Amino acid sequence: MTSTQRQPTQSQPAQGQPTQSRVQDAAQRSVGTASPRIEAWDKVTGRAPYAVDHPVPGAAYAWVVQSTVARGVVVDVDTSRALAEDGVLGVLWHGNAQRLESVGDPELMVLQSARIAYRGQVVAVVVATSPEAARAGADLVRVREDGMTSDTVLRIDHPALYQPVQVNAGYPARSAIGDVDAGLAAAAVRVDATYRTPAEHHCAMEPHATTAFWERGCLVVFDGTQASTAVSETLAGLFELPPQSVRVINEHVGGGFGSKGGPKPNVVLAAMAARLVGRPVKLALTRQQLFAVAGYRTPTIQRVRLGAATNGRLLAIGHDAVSQTSQLSEFVEQSAVLSRHMYAAPNRLTTHRVVALDVPTPVWMRAPGECPGSFALESAIDELASAGNWDPVRLRIDNEPAVHPEEQIPFSSRHLVQCLQEGAERFGWTDASGRVVRDPRPAVRRDGEWLVGTGVAASTYPSLTWPSTALARATADQRFDVEVNAADIGTGARTVLRQIAADALDVPIAYVEITVGDSAIGPATVAGGSMGTASWGWAVTKACRLLRERIERDHGGRVPTGGVAVRADTTLEIRDRPEFSRHAYGAQFCQARVSTMTGEVRVDRLLGVFAAGRIVNPTTARSQFIGGMTMGLSGALLERSVLDSRTGDFVTGDLAAYHVAVSADVPRIEVAWLDEQDPHLNPMGVKGIGEIGIVGTAAAVANAVHHATGIRVRDLPIGLAQMIGKLH
Amino acid sequence: MEFLRPSTWDEALAAKAEHPDAVPIAGGTDVMVELNFDRRRPPALLDLTRVASLADWAADGDRLRIGAGVTYRRIIDELGGRLPGLAMAARTVGSPQIRNRGTVGGNLGSASPAGDAHPPLLATGAEVEIGSVRGVRTVAVADFFQGPKRSVLAPDELIAAFLVPAATGPQQFAKVGTRNAMVIAVCSFALALDPQRRTIGTGIGSAGPTPLRATEAEALAAELPWEGKTLPDTIVQRFGELVGAAARPIDDVRGSAAYRRHALAVLGGRTLRWAWEEHRCA
Amino acid sequence: MRVNLTVNGEARQADDVWPGESLLYVLRERLGLPGAKNACEQGECGSCTVYLDGTPVCACLVAAGQAEHRDVRTVEGLPGPDGLDPVQQAFLSAGAVQCGFCTPGLVVAVHDLLARNPTPSDPDIREALAGNLCRCTGYENIVAAVKLAAGA
Repeated sequence: MTSTQRQPTQSQPAQGQPTQSRVQDAAQRSVGTASPRIEAWDKVTGRAPYAVDHPVPGAAYAWVVQSTVARGVVVDVDTSRALAEDGVLGVLWHGNAQRLESVGDPELMVLQSARIAYRGQVVAVVVATSPEAARAGADLVRVREDGMTSDTVLRIDHPALYQPVQVNAGYPARSAIGDVDAGLAAAAVRVDATYRTPAEHHCAMEPHATTAFWERGCLVVFDGTQASTAVSETLAGLFELPPQSVRVINEHVGGGFGSKGGPKPNVVLAAMAARLVGRPVKLALTRQQLFAVAGYRTPTIQRVRLGAATNGRLLAIGHDAVSQTSQLSEFVEQSAVLSRHMYAAPNRLTTHRVVALDVPTPVWMRAPGECPGSFALESAIDELASAGNWDPVRLRIDNEPAVHPEEQIPFSSRHLVQCLQEGAERFGWTDASGRVVRDPRPAVRRDGEWLVGTGVAASTYPSLTWPSTALARATADQRFDVEVNAADIGTGARTVLRQIAADALDVPIAYVEITVGDSAIGPATVAGGSMGTASWGWAVTKACRLLRERIERDHGGRVPTGGVAVRADTTLEIRDRPEFSRHAYGAQFCQARVSTMTGEVRVDRLLGVFAAGRIVNPTTARSQFIGGMTMGLSGALLERSVLDSRTGDFVTGDLAAYHVAVSADVPRIEVAWLDEQDPHLNPMGVKGIGEIGIVGTAAAVANAVHHATGIRVRDLPIGLAQMIGKLH
Repeated sequence: MEFLRPSTWDEALAAKAEHPDAVPIAGGTDVMVELNFDRRRPPALLDLTRVASLADWAADGDRLRIGAGVTYRRIIDELGGRLPGLAMAARTVGSPQIRNRGTVGGNLGSASPAGDAHPPLLATGAEVEIGSVRGVRTVAVADFFQGPKRSVLAPDELIAAFLVPAATGPQQFAKVGTRNAMVIAVCSFALALDPQRRTIGTGIGSAGPTPLRATEAEALAAELPWEGKTLPDTIVQRFGELVGAAARPIDDVRGSAAYRRHALAVLGGRTLRWAWEEHRCA
Repeated sequence: MRVNLTVNGEARQADDVWPGESLLYVLRERLGLPGAKNACEQGECGSCTVYLDGTPVCACLVAAGQAEHRDVRTVEGLPGPDGLDPVQQAFLSAGAVQCGFCTPGLVVAVHDLLARNPTPSDPDIREALAGNLCRCTGYENIVAAVKLAAGA
């Protein structure tokens, strides 16, 4: 029932004419095969152009000037010395920048007012003939700031905490069923613990960058974005242009993880700068500038309360999450939302509160909500298992709900139990008969100076779908061009969409050309929320099927000389879907070791088993799962953005200070997935897989560290210092 | 900004005398970061990569004279046998790309308390050879550092070489970091045993305003059973404690002062044990 | 100032070079070779790895003037007349490419590793590539690609 780690294979070269039969042998279908990544050749040769790699004749360069106070006003900007610098073409600040029309996101209203809402906010932009001149000019801009006392520290007792109307992704901030306090009072075993996760930065390898130019009143930008449709619509709004006058191209994007999920100040500034100097402008933010400007994952403080009866059945689940946002806009991490559906319990309460601080605006980062939320919930489940002397795998299985426990609607499919069972057996947690062979006692396995332990956590991520459009065109020579404004941020979107198109057209992939990454193609959703393949793939499938139908119906099965084209839009289908709780699930197992001498924590082994609908391409899917788990491991052990409370500045603001995992930190990671059939999702039967891999990893590591040492870490990352003094 | 490109040592010294505010650059692994980050914009760069003599090393009696421009990669490849402690430290520097370019001379010049080369140089009693148009002087590494990123170098001086005795006994280096590679030390420790002279040399990194020696720990040499006997646990423990006590750490993003003292005690005891094993088996 | 250097076997010249700029900048902005990527400017990520006189370095840490009369080879210069270098081919075959931003630097680093050590062990590989960050993060497949190229 399981397919795993298939070796990548070359696609079959096209032979002869494409098959004319409409019913194709399942074995010949492209979906499900390890079709090679289309653009990989361009990437290994360095020829794939990213946002500032496009050769643009006559380009000027922009450099930003950032605020040095966390709260205050810009009193004055003296640009005279900068303008006198050789090569400087112009300086923009709020006193001379063109007025923008509000589109609802104050973060994008750059250089529109004197207000400083966080340290590192852009207060001026210098445009020059070279990056060096622009930077030299930026050094010469004199910004006089009036700084005020700032408030930059998230506390669980912050007086300004409030319950928002809704949290990220549109969920209500609060949910309550039954009486949690009564459930806890009736419970035989209880956990009441508070967990903390730090601010984290995405650190996509490609820093945010834009090339922008104006051409006969139209704005064209190359932007490293996950969402060129949204960026083009936003720019049209800000600059009061007809939508068709803005084109955003994101052919290749060097990772995003949420930080490029919407337009960022760089794209707006580049467009303003290009208009100012009347020539193309390249604006590449530096790695350090990103730490303030491009978003981050909010720190969280989460209290989880669990109560179980003597048989291990949960009587109450309470999950209260606190996070921060900026003074500019409200972003509320939905950390407690996963607790609404992971486990059954008659009494339930989830709450979210947020406080607006004088800090940069947090944003989506790979599995917003589920990632920090799962650290709290899945650690607490492990604590409950310890307290009740239950096996942590068994405890989770015993609390499996039959329907969504709060909304009482059916799951479209849910195979968490099977993931736990399959993973437990592969990991050696259970034997072939399903009997637990893991010794539950903490701090008893020694290997020299090391203490060794194993841990488990469950994973989940919503299976979202959003309306998109796609275009399919057939030519007389039996070729097919399929266009959809997907963003391939490294996921393999281009490759899997071609596979999906080939199957919908009933032809081998060699006959299909796929084009993505251009807003001119037509509206399509963001590469985010793990919904790309489902959303774009649905539009592609619909367009391709309609095209096939039209060729048959209108042209007797023969494509006319001029070709045939069909555009499809999935808005209605998605609106009319029946109500289901749609999520992917998984289980992660970890073996960790802790040095009794130095407190160093090392992970020996990670295994993830996922049930995420149909897997379109085993190679790219495996990379998505492993990539998520590796980032989860990195978060468990290394990642932490430290904000200096006095200055409001991230002091870990570069890659020497903000540590992400390097290859030497990563053990062998195993991934498996179940062959999950779900007819209630989309025509392809796919769930998203880009984010679920990071969900639960940190808890699995922390639970393994507890099993190894007896030390319960409730504060990420798991550091050396947390171990020392507590180890025996 | 000027770019000065001397091709001989004399030209380099003359250039430094004429442009005392020129920043010397060899591997660029520190200087270029400062330029890229716009933290500094010196009036001139003094490129030392064309001064061939800086890339030479040679035996000088029982010592080695190693040019300031010898890279970490070459220390590992060419001097691992004679300077095992320094080579071990060099292996922990950055990545292969950094080790291909970075130099011990540059590490000394930057004078960072976290410089990986410093503890083994301290532990072996190395000296720094400093040149200027005024002449040559030699300064013990222990006297070279004056504070975080400050050294005794005068504005017209350049580091020519360092002088270090070839190992006469086991040497060790250990470093604690949060990552398995590419990491600035949370703390580090180097140890050099000299069984003939019956001494222990020590060097502590990243746990004080400058790299430090643990002189009280070194004094335990008098109590070691040099005649090939097993090392008593009590001595190992005391040695570690004295190493920890010699540190003058602060709390920072990488680690707390308390953790650093603890970890140095562990590293001290551990390196002594490792070195002693090697000594006993020699 | 003017900088003369050999890039991928061709004599090249860059004019009006600011002495404080990096070799990476010269390659990308002055010589039209955007293969080496700019992602940290401090030698932490390896995205800009190129050969300088046959040794892999972070191009962001080489001052432009230091490259005068030196020989530089970038990812663009790796393929031979017969097509991709075996390392590049292995990256394709092993599925070791994701967003691709770290790929050019990794390809050069792996090319050098295999030239020095044709049969690296798993720890050899992970240590040799420790200076090349992949945030996607595909270290597993990258290690597989190195082994594939080593066996080729």
